[in-house]
Amino acid sequence: MQVSTEKFTELVRREVEKARLRPALKMVPHFLHEKREAVLADHPDAPAAQAYGGAIRSEALARLPELLEEFEKNAISNGAKVFWARNAEEANAYIVKLARERGAKYVIKGKSMVTEEIGLNGALSEQGIEPWEADLGEFIIQQMNRTPFHIVGPAINIAVEEVRDLFLSKAFIKEPTLDPVELGWGARLFLREKFHRAQFGVTGVNMAVAETGTIINLENEGNIRFAKSSPRTQVSVMTLEKVVHTMKDALHLIRLLSRNCTGQKITAYVSMDSGPRKVDEIDGPEELFIVIVDNGRSRIYQDPRAREALRCIRCAACLNICPVYRQIGGYAYGWVYSGPMGQVLMPPLLGLDKTQDLYRASTLCGACKSVCPAGIDHPDLFLYYRSLDVSADASAAQRFNGKERPWKETLFFKLWGMAVKRSWMWNSGISITRPLMNAGSRGGAIRQMKGAFRGWFRKRDFPAMAEETFRERWEKTVGKGTDFKSVP
Amino acid sequence: MKDVSLFIPCTVDLFLPHIGEAMVSLLQRVGVNPLYHRGQTCCGQPAMNAGYRREAKKAAKHFIELFGNDEAIVAPSGSCVCMVKHHYPVLLGDEPEWFRRASELAPRVYELSQYLVDVLRVSDVGAAFTGSVAYHESCHILRGLGVSTQPKALISAVKGVKPLSMNQGDFCCGFGGEFANHYPDISEAMVQDKVQCYLESGADLLILCEPGCLLNIGGYLSRHHPGKRAMHLASFLAHSGRDER
Repeated sequence: MQVSTEKFTELVRREVEKARLRPALKMVPHFLHEKREAVLADHPDAPAAQAYGGAIRSEALARLPELLEEFEKNAISNGAKVFWARNAEEANAYIVKLARERGAKYVIKGKSMVTEEIGLNGALSEQGIEPWEADLGEFIIQQMNRTPFHIVGPAINIAVEEVRDLFLSKAFIKEPTLDPVELGWGARLFLREKFHRAQFGVTGVNMAVAETGTIINLENEGNIRFAKSSPRTQVSVMTLEKVVHTMKDALHLIRLLSRNCTGQKITAYVSMDSGPRKVDEIDGPEELFIVIVDNGRSRIYQDPRAREALRCIRCAACLNICPVYRQIGGYAYGWVYSGPMGQVLMPPLLGLDKTQDLYRASTLCGACKSVCPAGIDHPDLFLYYRSLDVSADASAAQRFNGKERPWKETLFFKLWGMAVKRSWMWNSGISITRPLMNAGSRGGAIRQMKGAFRGWFRKRDFPAMAEETFRERWEKTVGKGTDFKSVP
Repeated sequence: MKDVSLFIPCTVDLFLPHIGEAMVSLLQRVGVNPLYHRGQTCCGQPAMNAGYRREAKKAAKHFIELFGNDEAIVAPSGSCVCMVKHHYPVLLGDEPEWFRRASELAPRVYELSQYLVDVLRVSDVGAAFTGSVAYHESCHILRGLGVSTQPKALISAVKGVKPLSMNQGDFCCGFGGEFANHYPDISEAMVQDKVQCYLESGADLLILCEPGCLLNIGGYLSRHHPGKRAMHLASFLAHSGRDER
């Protein structure tokens, strides 16, 4: 998938305008959030359950190398084959090779974000193997050549009329309809045929359990279970951080993921696979391949602070509550992931030099952090990434390609830093700035300003700088030299 | 009489000094003695948010030098309090002596409504206002400090007031410091939604406790809805809703 994280501001302009024209769009994440709140409240001690989720994810990451080895060992003894891919190219090449060797004409896919990340569909198509997305939302955006608008509901932004027109043009339905059930039925009939003859299935993984070598998927449509059980060959693709230690840990994360993601106590389907079909079993794939993708994550693992970004379990609660996501939607973030989880994950994955806007376009409001079941402190990570740009020479900054800030900003903060600990210098700075700032003010308000602050003044006024600061007013009323005790 | 040290945010010092004065008269009214360190400058939040930690550290040390011995420190802002309470100990984590001083200082810093209600146990400050008000829950006050019931208690105790609820009252207004200037497309859409919720609430006045949000929401109202006002809780309580500057 093409990376356009550097075009953030440009994309935002377009997306904000689109959202303005469709106010209903903003309500979708709102409803998902409300549903989450209601179901979470039903939990006996929701904050404790959330905190426990954070502890599980934190421990799993602290022990990542050890748990991955344990997982691999147990998965192999269950009969699975494990392949470690350093990057997207290696993962794609391996999967394409497997499909070709088995003579697969097409691949049936369950919804997965990691295969979006590595661009598997493109790699398969190039080799003449057709990928078919089997999740309804993914199916729609695949037919429309779009990228996911939301990590859980990739097509939540597509109007039902658009889906109708698409399905008519592709002959998935015969008569025009806006009934979601009928539209779903059209897609279902089409895909059923694909499932029926499928030889090769590819899915993602929600959790990989180290102690049992089990892979777990949560879903509501059944496409993942179908893609895992119907074809002879199953390929499950996971990124390194999906591993947890015990089945008990996984079960708790299932509770949290269902509630935080779709506001359900449990998703309609939960499937757990420990190896391919055994001799005495009646169903399941004949062979199971597990592809473990790094794609930059071991570099993130090496940084104890940034490692927190890998805790994410992809529930999208942070997208649904984020006031910025609600205004700009998922496309503006410029790559696979979106919302706060994307803003903490994509910068170290792609490099800070390509993603500066992602961790700067935040008011640090903390709504994301307040709902995260994995205990990620998104605002603090944004601040950390910002600091790596400023100290672009430090080793952590080099690890993630920190990019130096504009010289004017650097100079400003250098001067600011000198003045902030010397009140005489601070106060003379104020006296110098006041007439400059207030030059165009009227009636105590500044209505326009060119240059560096023009962004503010497009739609907002700003108070003129006070003729007397609080300090000056205090000195007048209380008298000079009445500083109290502790002033050095 | 109990002493309390005034922590005046730089935005208040430079652009909204009347909020500082309102806080002073409010504190005097409830029987505490406000004291003021004339050497105070800025808590360092702008530098911290922009990534300039070395500079933010200088601000932190200066603040600790000035306020280090004070029994209670009060600010009419939640984000500045968060900076001192939460970020100073982390910023100074690699200098043990400074870390100790920052950690000891942290619990003595309060946001104004928090200080009045939780420390002084006062909610009725003798203000009166005939009209309805809505309350905007600023992010750093609500999620940063967990303060929400305190300002509401102070508002409810005002004689004659009719508190109204507002949709998405706990949603960010889109200020975010440099964010508002650098990403105007997003920030404007956010403040527009916030103002829309305020207008739909039907309240006569919007009350908040954060200077940043006041600059943002107030700046938008001034341009587009000059008849509608946003006001800091300190001013509202000290002057019973009158605009005194």
